[in-house]
Amino acid sequence: MEGKVGLGLRRDIAEEILDSRILTPDFLEFAPENWMGMGGAWKRVMDKAVDRFPITCHGLSLSLGSPEELDWQFIRELKSFLDENRVTIYSEHLSYTKSRNAHLYDLLPIPFRQDAIDHVVDRIRRVQDLLERPLAIENVSYYTPVAAEMTEVQFVNEIVERADCKLLLDVNNVYVNAFNHRYDAKEFIGALPLERVAYIHMAGHEQVEPDLIIDTHGQPIIDPVYELFEWTIQKMDPVPVLLERDFNFEDLEQIQGELTQIKGILNRHWEVTHASA
Amino acid sequence: MHLRKETITIQERLGEYCRTGVELELPGVTPGRIHHYRRLISNVVNDTLHTAFPITVAALGGNQWELLVQDFFADGIPKTPQVWKLPLEFYQYHTGRETGKRIGKPFLDDLLYFEWMEIEIHTMPDRPFPDFVTEGDLFNDRLVFNPEHEIIQLSFPVHTHPVRKAIDLEGEHYALLYRMPESGHVQFLDLSALNIYIITRLQEEKVTLNEIKNEIARVAGIESGRYLDEALQKFLGDLMERKLIFGFIQN
Repeated sequence: MEGKVGLGLRRDIAEEILDSRILTPDFLEFAPENWMGMGGAWKRVMDKAVDRFPITCHGLSLSLGSPEELDWQFIRELKSFLDENRVTIYSEHLSYTKSRNAHLYDLLPIPFRQDAIDHVVDRIRRVQDLLERPLAIENVSYYTPVAAEMTEVQFVNEIVERADCKLLLDVNNVYVNAFNHRYDAKEFIGALPLERVAYIHMAGHEQVEPDLIIDTHGQPIIDPVYELFEWTIQKMDPVPVLLERDFNFEDLEQIQGELTQIKGILNRHWEVTHASA
Repeated sequence: MHLRKETITIQERLGEYCRTGVELELPGVTPGRIHHYRRLISNVVNDTLHTAFPITVAALGGNQWELLVQDFFADGIPKTPQVWKLPLEFYQYHTGRETGKRIGKPFLDDLLYFEWMEIEIHTMPDRPFPDFVTEGDLFNDRLVFNPEHEIIQLSFPVHTHPVRKAIDLEGEHYALLYRMPESGHVQFLDLSALNIYIITRLQEEKVTLNEIKNEIARVAGIESGRYLDEALQKFLGDLMERKLIFGFIQN
């Protein structure tokens, strides 16, 4: 999987991907919550995808950062799903999606605080124990810090280090956060434990205000994000890279073009590294 | 628990704001940014429910529908980690609170139920298909039904009539929803109570049609004879064509 380029399996493009007409990713990523417990036509699509492609999973609802107890029943079902579908990498967001036991279905920012680090570290360790596999934690995009007592990079680094987990480095999220919170994206990435990165996400975004970008996964990747990506991968060993696209599927050639462009960047650097190794 | 009470309160306040829109004091936030979280979350919930219940949205009209969604999200506690199952919780929330009665739309429960059941049948886990043969005798062999079906009872025939007409037809109505084996598409049949009785008996009791023919005549209040045989032949033959009956158990 190292150096391979994947795409999220969305219902709108499932048939297209499985028929390999225009889109030709090397692997597919599922959001397990969108497929677990499903039968019928969608189960058949999923089975076909698992037969034909290596699979990674990117979770949505674990809610690692929320105060209430983890949903162990859900995590047990998740483990079965990951095992049954031969999932190679399972990742989740460093955020919370539940409050007072109500699911919110989007990613809220955890306060960058020491007690939150202790809480999240403990939860990641317990989840990894039950799943019997490492978790890759994604740096999320956020639109405002909330009650922060340290920097984002301090927060991320201590969690990853102490939980002894992997990192899903979302390059677009770093770009979005650096823009929204006025910090240096390269400095941020340079301070991360890049040896722990197991997986990279790339995506498009939308600038909604002069000083605010929203991480939409609905637009093409912009050049500065490609540049940040190229700069980043030269500092680390090869890992799988995923293009996230959640909607706006009208122009499949353009999406395939993004896959090709990512692959071209990888080949410029990671193949050279392999050849000289 | 490692979290300080203050951190928990801050996290819960942000969650509450996203659900209710009521602003609470949050330290260390960038002005003018928090509302994006409520907007993004509302988009997910609105899109999910709107897609699940298109007939209900049309029947209620935009404003009333939006109020139902707002009530649910502010007051209900969405428990499912799988957002595609949220429509079930929406249906249960409003049925539990008798919202339909309260807003003068008595058909609401039925409409939400029917629309949810279409999703449920489409997505439910696969049920094992029994062995069967396609050649057999409708009256003397035991029949094999498509296991991927559910029978629902409705007070208003919202599955067969526009709401404006269904509202005048309150009574006992039945629909059978099933999944087509090859395509996975959901089909439904409007059935009488007698039809439902026959299907239920044939499936659950594992009897042949001939063994319960007299019983059917008694329930229907008609004589067992040629007329009934022809009606049963037509009814069950139709179910076979529609792939609700797969075939026969091999003797």
